[in-house]
Amino acid sequence: MKRLLASFVLIATVAAACGGGAGTPSAAPAAAASATARPATAAPTATPKPVRIGLVTDVGGLNDKSFNTLANQGRLDAEKDLGVQTSVVESKKQEDYVPNLTTFAQQGYDLVISVGFLMTNATWKVAKQFPNIKFGIIDGAPANDKGDTENLPNVANLFFAEQEAGYLVGVIAATMAKDKVGAATHNTVCSMGGIPIPPVDKFIAGYQDAVKTVSPTTVILNGYSNDFVDQQKGKEVGLNHIGKGCDILFQVAGGSGLGYITAAKEKGVYAIGVDADQADVAPATVITSALKRVNKAVYDTIKAVKDGKFVAGSQTFNATNDGVGYGKLATVVPANAKAAADQALADIKSGKIKPKTEIQVK
Amino acid sequence: MTSGTSAGRTAPPTRRDALAWAAGPAIPAASVLIALVLGAAFVLVSGNDPVAAYAALARGAFGTPYDVTETLIIAIPLTLGGLSVALAFRTGLFNIGAQSQLLVGAIATGFVGVRFADLPGPLLMPLVILTGILAGGAWGALAGWLKATRGVNEVITTIMQNYTIVFVMHWLLQNGPMSAPNAFGTPASARIGDGAVLPVIVPAELIPLTRLHAGILLAALAVVAFWFILFRTTLGYELRAVGLGPRAAAQAGIDPKRGMVLGMFVAGGFAGLAGMVQVSGVFQRVYDGFSAGYGFDAIAVALLGKNSPIGIALAALLFGAFARGGTIMQSNAHISSNLVAVIEALVLFVIAAETALRELARRHGALKRAA
Amino acid sequence: MTWDMFLGAAVLAATLRLATPILLAALGGVVSERSGVTNIALEGSMLVGAFFGVLAADRSGSILVALAVAVVAGVALAALHAVASIHFRSDQIVSGMALNILALGLTSYLDYQLYGTTGTPADLPGIPDLPLGALERIPFVGAVAGDQSVMVWVALLLVVALQLFLFRTVPGLRLRAVGEHPRAADTVGIAVRRTRYWAVLASGALAALGGAYLSLSVAHSFTDDMVGGRGFIGLAAMIFGRWTPVGALAASIIFGYGGALSTSLQGATIGDLRVPVQLLSTLPYLLTVLAVAGFVGRSRPPAADGLPYEQEGH
Repeated sequence: MKRLLASFVLIATVAAACGGGAGTPSAAPAAAASATARPATAAPTATPKPVRIGLVTDVGGLNDKSFNTLANQGRLDAEKDLGVQTSVVESKKQEDYVPNLTTFAQQGYDLVISVGFLMTNATWKVAKQFPNIKFGIIDGAPANDKGDTENLPNVANLFFAEQEAGYLVGVIAATMAKDKVGAATHNTVCSMGGIPIPPVDKFIAGYQDAVKTVSPTTVILNGYSNDFVDQQKGKEVGLNHIGKGCDILFQVAGGSGLGYITAAKEKGVYAIGVDADQADVAPATVITSALKRVNKAVYDTIKAVKDGKFVAGSQTFNATNDGVGYGKLATVVPANAKAAADQALADIKSGKIKPKTEIQVK
Repeated sequence: MTSGTSAGRTAPPTRRDALAWAAGPAIPAASVLIALVLGAAFVLVSGNDPVAAYAALARGAFGTPYDVTETLIIAIPLTLGGLSVALAFRTGLFNIGAQSQLLVGAIATGFVGVRFADLPGPLLMPLVILTGILAGGAWGALAGWLKATRGVNEVITTIMQNYTIVFVMHWLLQNGPMSAPNAFGTPASARIGDGAVLPVIVPAELIPLTRLHAGILLAALAVVAFWFILFRTTLGYELRAVGLGPRAAAQAGIDPKRGMVLGMFVAGGFAGLAGMVQVSGVFQRVYDGFSAGYGFDAIAVALLGKNSPIGIALAALLFGAFARGGTIMQSNAHISSNLVAVIEALVLFVIAAETALRELARRHGALKRAA
Repeated sequence: MTWDMFLGAAVLAATLRLATPILLAALGGVVSERSGVTNIALEGSMLVGAFFGVLAADRSGSILVALAVAVVAGVALAALHAVASIHFRSDQIVSGMALNILALGLTSYLDYQLYGTTGTPADLPGIPDLPLGALERIPFVGAVAGDQSVMVWVALLLVVALQLFLFRTVPGLRLRAVGEHPRAADTVGIAVRRTRYWAVLASGALAALGGAYLSLSVAHSFTDDMVGGRGFIGLAAMIFGRWTPVGALAASIIFGYGGALSTSLQGATIGDLRVPVQLLSTLPYLLTVLAVAGFVGRSRPPAADGLPYEQEGH
């Protein structure tokens, strides 16, 4: 117990010695002395204050190689291209959302972005407390304590039309399955989600819609790894699906989905990536990816704040504004599949096709 | 004094240990210093500024009143979890399942808090507190019962319980029986009634934006209750006897099987209360996957705190300080949160070794005197 | 629902794949605890084995080098535990937990530094599979054992080897003596501390092989926290298996089978009812508890397990 006391004394002493500043210029001295919150107001100075952007990720860390990694990429690109100062904080537990957002807001950041649909209530809470700071939520809109959506004038809700991305890759998959291209000999396609939640299921819904439209005879399978990290679980689901004849495996399961792709690689069949372009994960195996350009959403929002053109409320990143798309095509993908995908893209843009958002094959 | 103990073999501290507090401050301070220096070396090697790192760590944990309240908020479930693990240790059992007991308490709180949402505070609050404790207790008692009747080692049962509850929560809250309908399919329950919400107890004029809720009072009460139950009731006497081994239990005329079940029940109750506090005080509803990792950290908290109530509270504060400070390290000093984990591990590691370092030093001193 | 979903060759093949990492961790636990040292840092040894195995595979292009490096990493972590537990007589649980946190933080940090934006390379050398040639044509067994990774066979061989070592050789007897009655062992001249050091280092090596299996045979990559608790499941398997290698095998198989079932039963229906996919994932855990409650009952650890040894007159 002695040593616990000792470690406190040590930490507290250092805290007292270092006072309010935290050693880097970006920490605002709002800390020690003030007893009132100081929501950031643009200080009227002669030299323009650098624009500061904070990113708060969901649990899952920056290394997830898809969602959080993309958001982080958007932040880094913006920092390089637009000359803004940025910072990122990884949440370790859901309890961390509010304090993490508050940390940036208290220090007068210009824009704070929440990455993930679990952060809707936390963002609502903090955005209400700091009406002069701008916020963005990826995959969500502020949700008040009752659970209802409540748009706020300082929050941009950045949604994606995942079903459109799923539809595009579904067209490619269905065309290849129908024509029995390469190793796709069984006319069966499948998908695996992480857990059955809307951001995941919408991809799969669009995928299945496309397959049923383009090739109604193709057999469709679906499964879940119940995990976003464990690759072995994803691989087992993949091997199971391949055992049932599936030749094209669409993963919507983050890190676990990489295992799904690995199963396809081992058995010499095909896979489709998600969120980021995952062609490099397994070059001859990944025929395309369902792109969800989270990095673009982050980048565009940062740019809007910098240019003074921030727009609150819901925006959807979809095919029309290049927010979703299909990724690099492997060489085995035939020209007619590409043509069909491009046609579908045009039809989605024109509104002729509205991909379903409800899964049909659970 | 006990040295280097592990599962089920921790003896309660004696009066002599308490007096030994006063003597020999050099070694504990030195060991913490060593750990922090090693951590600084790590930070340096990774290309970052150690001074900025530690300044941020300290600032995040204790820099402003708001930071202090945030540290406390993290310390609350850690304290309760630590009490849970410690109580089981005292009964001779290794409770790795504090996490699942916490979640069971949370689920039960969510269920009752929603079902009886219209009840007024004075009725609903005691109801959910009781629910959290009893639900966590029952889940813990299940592990105790399996050990008492079928000899199933509680390490196995509690590890398995941890995973099982995670998936049951997925099922309940992902468009399942307990999930509240909402626009985006967020896997969460409905909001509990206002009567079940633990209010923020620090006025906003004093510390703006603080979220410090009444759960801290419950945690403080739990610390007292732990001491009281263990040292002032027959139940506590029984549990401690069982913890000292079958012969001690027989001498005290106690059935060890009964002790196992009761011990795990009480332990589970503390952890269940932690779950209740998280739902009532922090989220006001049950979210799928929340409160990750508290039960696990609680094991380290209990061990660092030497299974004593005050020690546990201090250890919980230390962990809370690291968690909160780590955030500021990342946001302000731009140091990866993973490095914080490395520093935390080093401190734990050195603190674990410190007991024995102290012994070694004492023995060297004894030998020198004898020579 | 068909019987194939329960006992088909695919399910049993999956059982072996899922059991292997847990088995290797459990074997590590057995060796360490039989000598009297509780080593819960198996998870950490698995993780560093997984990461440094991938790193070495990337840099050297050789799977043998990769496995060697993985083992060294696992042993290094275990060495820290050994020094803390045996020399400094630290609390072995805290030491183990601290090392687990260290391993997670360190590997995640290095992963981000070295492979942050791109991920680990796609064409890493992997642990090869062992095709059984003609034997694969044997109707059922061929499908189950046909194309398993070499590491699966290594693990099975290790079970036999360690079972023989511990219970049929003199050094094994000495190791067990050290775990049961260290003072008596010391009196007859067995080097207690040295034996324990070897045992803990060996446990780190075994666990690291389990981790390397995950990264170099299953996933062919490294992602943060990819061991996901298998080190702890391995501890449970060790206890379940009564601290014997063969018992650990049985326990790991049961757990692996539960995992295989939870995949193969996805989508299965009884009449119109379908088991929710999330609840299927509880199968391995429930099965394990039921198995222990039903068949194994009480299991007793080595008498001096977890107790530091103080040699007289030192």
